[in-house]
Amino acid sequence: MSSTREQKISIMEVRDNFMRFEISNITEGVANALRRTLINDIPKLAIDKVVFRHGQIRDSMGNVFDSSLPLFDEIVAHRIGLIPIKTDSKMNFREECSCEGRGCSLCTVSYNIDKTGPGEVYSGDLVPFTGNVELKPTDPFIPIIKLGPKQALLVTAEATMGTGKTHAKWQVTSGVSFKYHREFKINKDENEGWEKVKNDYPKSVVGETKEFLTITDDYQQRGVMNFINTSTHRSVINQTKPVEIMEDKNRFIFKFETDGSLSAKETIKIALLRLPGRLNILHESIISPD
Amino acid sequence: MIIPIRCFSCGKVIGSDYRRFESEINQIRSRNREPTSDEISAIMDGLGLERYCCRRMILSHIELIDEIMPFS
Repeated sequence: MSSTREQKISIMEVRDNFMRFEISNITEGVANALRRTLINDIPKLAIDKVVFRHGQIRDSMGNVFDSSLPLFDEIVAHRIGLIPIKTDSKMNFREECSCEGRGCSLCTVSYNIDKTGPGEVYSGDLVPFTGNVELKPTDPFIPIIKLGPKQALLVTAEATMGTGKTHAKWQVTSGVSFKYHREFKINKDENEGWEKVKNDYPKSVVGETKEFLTITDDYQQRGVMNFINTSTHRSVINQTKPVEIMEDKNRFIFKFETDGSLSAKETIKIALLRLPGRLNILHESIISPD
Repeated sequence: MIIPIRCFSCGKVIGSDYRRFESEINQIRSRNREPTSDEISAIMDGLGLERYCCRRMILSHIELIDEIMPFS
C-alpha cells in the first residue's frame, strides 16, 4: 500500500519554538507514533528535587526573616519543577550516567533561590551554580510565589533529565497535532466566481485542472488562513453545492510548539532519532514474549 | 490563588503571560472603561495564546494570593 511509495518530509514553517511540516506516504499508525514520541519521549531538563531552608533566615545586613510562605512548600516545589529550563540535549539521564546515579555535572544542574520579601519571586531568580551554568530558565518572568514582609525564600534545587512519560514537567512540546492534507475542490462550470478566487489566493495554495479549481488551507505562510475565511470568498464558494472537501490520507500535516527548553528543530530531530528505538522495543518483545 | 505556570490541558507555559495580560487590561481600564471582548481576544492573540485551553487559564483566573498572604 502506501509504504511502497517514497516517504517525504517537507517543512512548511519554522520558528524558534514552533514548527509545521508535512510527511507523505506514511500510515496513521506511524504518524501517531511520531506524535506520541514528540509528546512523551523527548528528554529535557527539569527541576526534580527542591530543598527548603527552614527556620530563621538572615540576609547580609543581619535582618531576620521567616521561612514560612503563603503557600505550602509542596506547591512551591511543584511550581519550581514546572519552569522550563534551557536544555543541553547531550546531557545524560541520571540513572544511565557514568556517575552511577550520584549526580555529576554530566547529568545534574543545581540552582538556588535567595530572595527576601516583600515582593514576588520570579523564575529569573533561579540561579544555576553547579553543572552547566548556561542552563537558565527560558522565561525569567514566571511568578513562583509572593513573599510578605519579613518572609524569605532560601532554596536549593537540582535539575535532572527526564521524559514526559514520567511527569508533565519533562514535556517539551505542547499542542502536538496532525491532520490529513485537505483540498477544497471547486467545480468551474457551476461556480461563476472561480476566476476571482483563483486570482485572489496566493499561487502556492491554488491548483487547477480543466474542470476543477483546488484550494488547500494547509497554507504556506502565516496570514493566508485568515484570507481564506474572508466573507467575499465564502460567498463565492458557498453559493451553490459543488464544493467538495477532499482529504488525502497519505499526506499528514504536523504542527507542534515547544516550551523553549529545546528549539523546534532540535525536538523533531530527537523525535525522529528516538522513534525507531521505540519501535525496536516493540519488535523485540514480540520475538521474545517474556 | 496564584497563576498556574502551565496550561492544565496542553502544558504551554502561561505563567508569565498573565502579568502581561493584566497590564494591558489595566491600561484600558485606566481610560475609564472596561475592555471589550474583542480587545481581550486581541490581547490574547498577541500573547500567542492560540488554543482555548490556554485562553481559559488566563481569562478565568482570579488572583487571590494577596488574600492568603496574612495567613502564612
